[in-house]
Amino acid sequence: MKRLFTIAFVVGLLAVVLAATLWPLPQHLRYRSITSVPADGGRQEEFVIHWPEDRIARPGENASSLPAAAAVGAAVLEDSAGRRVSAELFRLRDTEDNVIGVAGRLAGTGGAIADPGRSATNWLLVIPGRGALFLAQSDVQDTTVREGIAAEGSLALPPAQAAAFWTDRPRIRITAPAPAGDGAATTGKVLRGTSEFAGLRGSFIETWDLEEVNADGSTRGRILLSTITVGDN
Amino acid sequence: MARALVVVLGLVLGILTGTGLVLGNPLAWFRGLPPLPADLAPAKAYRWDNYRGIEGGVADLLGLGRRNPGIALLDPALPHVRIGIVVLPAGEGAPAALAVKVSAIAEDNSLWRAQLGTHDYWSIVWPGEGSVFANAYSNYWAVARDAFFAGIVGGDRDLMAPSYAVTAPPPLGEPAGVTGASGRYAGFTGEIRELLYLAPLNSERDQPDWAIAIKANPPPVETR
Repeated sequence: MKRLFTIAFVVGLLAVVLAATLWPLPQHLRYRSITSVPADGGRQEEFVIHWPEDRIARPGENASSLPAAAAVGAAVLEDSAGRRVSAELFRLRDTEDNVIGVAGRLAGTGGAIADPGRSATNWLLVIPGRGALFLAQSDVQDTTVREGIAAEGSLALPPAQAAAFWTDRPRIRITAPAPAGDGAATTGKVLRGTSEFAGLRGSFIETWDLEEVNADGSTRGRILLSTITVGDN
Repeated sequence: MARALVVVLGLVLGILTGTGLVLGNPLAWFRGLPPLPADLAPAKAYRWDNYRGIEGGVADLLGLGRRNPGIALLDPALPHVRIGIVVLPAGEGAPAALAVKVSAIAEDNSLWRAQLGTHDYWSIVWPGEGSVFANAYSNYWAVARDAFFAGIVGGDRDLMAPSYAVTAPPPLGEPAGVTGASGRYAGFTGEIRELLYLAPLNSERDQPDWAIAIKANPPPVETR
């Protein structure tokens, strides 16, 4: 009996040792990175977001119950001086339309952040199998999400989702082309990366493309983030 | 019957002893990731209840977590990711801030090296003030270890600390910290720490509370 207990004990012990050694801890699915090399050097990679379908709804949110111009997965914070900050959550795609990660867009207005009538935007791109990219820019205009009030409660109203935003243009470059105003503005910069993107810096351009205006006044479209990075020496 | 009982008893004791040895293994003392001190700057408490993706518990970190269809991200590349919008309260001379936090289970986790954590990414904007990005590695090994030993003695929560400093050096030594992005914080660099507060026993809340501390300094002044 004592010998049987000892054998069973050792087997249990070994089972744990084996499990701790061989246990398949979570790994992320990684798609092939689609990069190219521009003529003047660097590493070019484009990321795509489709609205409204790539918006990540927060728990309990239902896009079908919202007015046409309202969005899920967004929040607005405004102080008493009218300086506004908005946050939006998206799925992030590569140029072959694979969902490769998630993205957060934070835009702010006023004070030290942006010149009057404009906003500044930070993009947080997280590709689980590859790392993260931190992007910052001044915008050509105020692109923050507005807050509206309806019977259902407060609504998040992103400018691009309303047909009125697209009066006579199917495409708009959001990234400011050059620094302006008091020097707070900056063109699109890749500030830093992690893991596979560690040590990279560079520039990026954010572009919004209108694809469809729906009968209810809402829109469908595409956000394109085109990055060019080089190693940080 | 008696022989079967002895075998089961031996196996159970062997498994419990083995698990205890793994969780308290001596290698962890040499290769583990001790938490960094959380007193770099005043910590701001926040809640991260409104999220999509994984719950972030030990089961998720081991790949055993159940996917809640109302919350999980169902895309093939996103089963081990958590994302949410966080409001950081005002205080210490700073206004309230809006932030996006993303956590992805670290692929470099290792049970023998006492590494069971997530890579965390922050983007934070203070209205009218400025914005920063931050990244850190959070190691939940101590939480898992204490929960296991508390479970062995019948779920005695006294064996668990009320809070855990989860920020630890990244496993592969890659850069972590704070990078100023815009406004007053453009060009700043610094460090980030996070604390996890377990939900009190018998509390209506099933989610833990969190706190974040950020210490960032302006870029050095260049002299001519």
